[in-house]
Amino acid sequence: MSLYEIRNMAIEIAGDRLIEEVGLTVEAGQCTAIIGASGSGKSLTCLTPFGLTPGAVSGSMLLDGVDLGSDGSVQIRDVRRRLAGFIFQQPLTALTPHLAVGVQLQEATMQAGAARPSRLELARKLERVGLSRADERLDQFPHRLSGGERQRVMIAAAIAHSPKLLVADEPTSALDASLRSEIMALLDELRAEQGLGLLLVSHDIASIEGHADQLVVMEKGRVVESGAASTVIAGPAEDYTRRLIAAAPRLQDPAPMLSRPGEPLLETRNLGVSFDRSGWRRGKIKALADASIMLHECESLAIVGGSGSGKSTLGRAIAGIGPVTEGEILWEGVTLPERRKRDLAMRRLIQPVFQDPVASLDPHWQVRDIVSEPLHNLRPDLTPAECARMVRKVLSDVDLAEDFLTRVPASLSGGQAQRVAIARAIIASPRLLVLDEATSALDPLVGAEILKLLLRLQGENGLSLLFITHDIAAARRLCHRVAVMEAGQIVETGEMQAVINHPRHPATQKLIAAS
Amino acid sequence: MLKRHFPIFLVLALVMLALLLPFLLPWSYDQIDWEAVRAPAFSGSHIFGTDEIGRDRLARLAAGTRITLMVAIAAALVSLIVGIAWGATAGWIGGRVDEAMMRIVDGLYALPFMFIVILLMVVFGRSILLVFVGIGLVEWLTMARVVRGQVIALKQRPFILAAEAAGTPSVAIMWRHILPNIAGVALAYLMLTVPQVVMVESFLSFLGLGVQEPLTSLGILVKEGADDMDMTPLGLALPGGLLVMILVCLTIEGERLRDRFS
Amino acid sequence: MLALITRRLMTAIPTLLVIILASFFLMRLAPGGPFDGERPLDPETQAALQQAYGLDRPLWEQAWLYVLRLVQGDFGPSLVYRDFTVSELIAQGLPISLTLGGLAIVLALLVGVTAGLFAAVRAGKAADQTIMMGATVATALPTFVTGPALALFFGLWLGLLPVSGTGEGVAWLIMPVVALALPVSGAIAKLTRAGLASVLKQDHIRTARARGLSETKILFKHGLRPALVPVASYLGPAAAGLLTGAVVVETVFGLPGLGRYFVQGALNRDYPLVLGVVTLYAALIILFNLFADLIYGWLDPRMREG
Repeated sequence: MSLYEIRNMAIEIAGDRLIEEVGLTVEAGQCTAIIGASGSGKSLTCLTPFGLTPGAVSGSMLLDGVDLGSDGSVQIRDVRRRLAGFIFQQPLTALTPHLAVGVQLQEATMQAGAARPSRLELARKLERVGLSRADERLDQFPHRLSGGERQRVMIAAAIAHSPKLLVADEPTSALDASLRSEIMALLDELRAEQGLGLLLVSHDIASIEGHADQLVVMEKGRVVESGAASTVIAGPAEDYTRRLIAAAPRLQDPAPMLSRPGEPLLETRNLGVSFDRSGWRRGKIKALADASIMLHECESLAIVGGSGSGKSTLGRAIAGIGPVTEGEILWEGVTLPERRKRDLAMRRLIQPVFQDPVASLDPHWQVRDIVSEPLHNLRPDLTPAECARMVRKVLSDVDLAEDFLTRVPASLSGGQAQRVAIARAIIASPRLLVLDEATSALDPLVGAEILKLLLRLQGENGLSLLFITHDIAAARRLCHRVAVMEAGQIVETGEMQAVINHPRHPATQKLIAAS
Repeated sequence: MLKRHFPIFLVLALVMLALLLPFLLPWSYDQIDWEAVRAPAFSGSHIFGTDEIGRDRLARLAAGTRITLMVAIAAALVSLIVGIAWGATAGWIGGRVDEAMMRIVDGLYALPFMFIVILLMVVFGRSILLVFVGIGLVEWLTMARVVRGQVIALKQRPFILAAEAAGTPSVAIMWRHILPNIAGVALAYLMLTVPQVVMVESFLSFLGLGVQEPLTSLGILVKEGADDMDMTPLGLALPGGLLVMILVCLTIEGERLRDRFS
Repeated sequence: MLALITRRLMTAIPTLLVIILASFFLMRLAPGGPFDGERPLDPETQAALQQAYGLDRPLWEQAWLYVLRLVQGDFGPSLVYRDFTVSELIAQGLPISLTLGGLAIVLALLVGVTAGLFAAVRAGKAADQTIMMGATVATALPTFVTGPALALFFGLWLGLLPVSGTGEGVAWLIMPVVALALPVSGAIAKLTRAGLASVLKQDHIRTARARGLSETKILFKHGLRPALVPVASYLGPAAAGLLTGAVVVETVFGLPGLGRYFVQGALNRDYPLVLGVVTLYAALIILFNLFADLIYGWLDPRMREG
């Protein structure tokens, strides 16, 4: 008998049937992963049977011989207390802010009725999940810990009462690539050690490869395909699964076809950015130091690094929307002044695209006005009719139909909004796009399409791209060269494939191992 | 619509009534009917009776409501303009300027501001103009804080950065991106400022420091009613009830708006 | 923590100084003086009085002298209550005003937090809507309406409570305190309810729920403290509101508190008295804000770094 078995489950929220005919099993000591795009119902599927969403479940759910479906909610609370542990996506907010780590861990340990643990026992639990200086951490409040550390605390708390099943809802999505693989490895270890069944939810097929035993692929509230993970990934039966797998970038993929770079276009020399500390205290925070890069016509350069590595600061400085404190930026050998001192012709050259597509469009504006905004300022020579024609043309360039002209951002999906943002960026014919995590917030399928679009635009318009990302595998699909950043410094640069094959700096090695 | 927004329609109806009544009533608010001092309600042409010196209560209520709401709206507008200008400037410029500007707001917040208003009234004489300028200048603090918070949040939104990259000048970003996006919240807080100001104005008038005779306001009417309440409770109940009703209605609508926009 | 307190106190002193000086000059800009009685005094007496109280010296010098004396705890003489110093008047009136304000804020917190908590637990149900409607009405109840109304009802009609003066026992406190506390308790109830509603939606509550804790335990151990942060930040303005409200209830119920002295002083241009009260109240409010900051840090440790 399986540890956890769901058969023919359906979930309704406020009368809407969101999940139908879902079935899956989790074996003790093994990992079952649910994969799907956002809105596929994967989180609902794993949380609702335990009463952690407002949804109403029907069907048969058996956990360790206990029927989750037929009993009242008191029983469900009891099942959560004794049999199951949970890890959520956002480690930053999943811990109670005003309770010290030790207090929360103690609460978790005692939840199934265990005796009050000693301080030493609690510290051991933290050590087990890979936290150093465990004793000290017990007295700390969650906000003192980094994201990775908090997720480790969450894991320690989730298994503190020795549950049979661990439910992990996107446990690594909010973490850096290098942390992701560490957390996944930790979950593997704990699973083997304690005979724990793991139900894992992820939108990223690459992150669970090698960790999951069973794979369940979901789309629009239904299971599309399921089976042994290795079999499904090696030979997907369904088209949707195939596209999901194809969308996930891998370092082993064949080399992509890229355009041929031309003359040098942009160069930064010893660029540095520091910010004033907040408050009246003197002092600066150095976000970027001594950054020198070179970018050619029609070339794509990836800036890869973890969060806080200074990659976005570099991108903003180049795009003229962030401060520069030291060094210079040269455009075809001529120095570009900083920020607002650039004239219209200079501003036209470089345009940014941001991570959060919806936030990068003014919610009160129509697509037509959003896309034409750069024209009004940067091309005062155009007549309104010419402007309108260009807006239409550029929308069709990013594969959006004409009826999008009058839409407002709230009515756009993430992918559509990002296409509008790209349309705005390219309408005034820039030479360089600065793409700041432009695909990270999107579903893998949509992200892959945007990458394709960018490649095509580069081929058609001879654009240069500065692709800022934490995901070196995604960057590989688009970029000729890569610069790796850590702690505000560029630590390694080179041809993309050469760097991937022979990484020299530890930060690079870590990034590549994580992909 | 009418049912959901009953409170605001009620206030509007009261305003209309207050504006129209002078043309319908045979008595003006400062006219003394020597024949009917302390007349009870529904006696002759005095629907709510007369006060202790024979002035028509209904006419006085209408006059008081007019003055109170006029002061409130004027003062709320003053607070809106000062608050938006101050908050938006601080938020947009940021850095040390922002910090200095907000320190001033914090400092003023820590003041026993009602006492300062009282001081102002005493110092500059009790003109009605001063009443609302004084109140408006105090009530802008919340507006400035809210607007600054909104501007700072907006400033970091990528669409503002994109507009900057698109060559949109700062002034145009302010007018076309920032202000339209804070308009909703500002309106909500404007709605919430109005009852605040009504409260302050009535408070001052109650103490004899606000609107001066022969003009009247709801605060003065409450004061007169309170002084005479053992004789005619109606004198307290009418202006008191009307004032509370207006305050409740405006607060409900303002909070609704605020919840919608934030 | 200690650093936060020191920093606050460091900014409090210049703030206070600015308030004192601003009020000082503001008052002196006003036309009219303390000795303009019903009958104009002859010029010699006027000059003698001016000299006696130091009003003939340059303004800056007067301001400087005032601040110097203030540092030593001397608020100067009252110009209208000629037999008293301002310190004596304050010593007489402050205890009454502080008792009123202190009791009112305790009452408002008790009633407000309880009502807000109850409404949040019953979110969306009839009890919630009733409580919230009641809270909205309560916030809109001006002290100068509730005060007289209470006095009329419980004092004059039912004869249960004294209408005027301090008298024996504590019965005289009931109506003034209730009138003061009502609007504040309404506001606190609303803030508590809204704070809980937003906190109960947060991720850490789901974590606690995932541990199988009872709803009561989730509410009190994981939910309540962060939910009270908005209440704590309201305490400063609430204190200021209570001190001003005290002016009204002292007038309505004929209590010899500081607020009444202030209004009288302002009307009679009793400069030292008015300045003394403003200074004292500003200091009190600053102190109260500091206290609120400390509560803040306890409610949410993230604020301690400030």
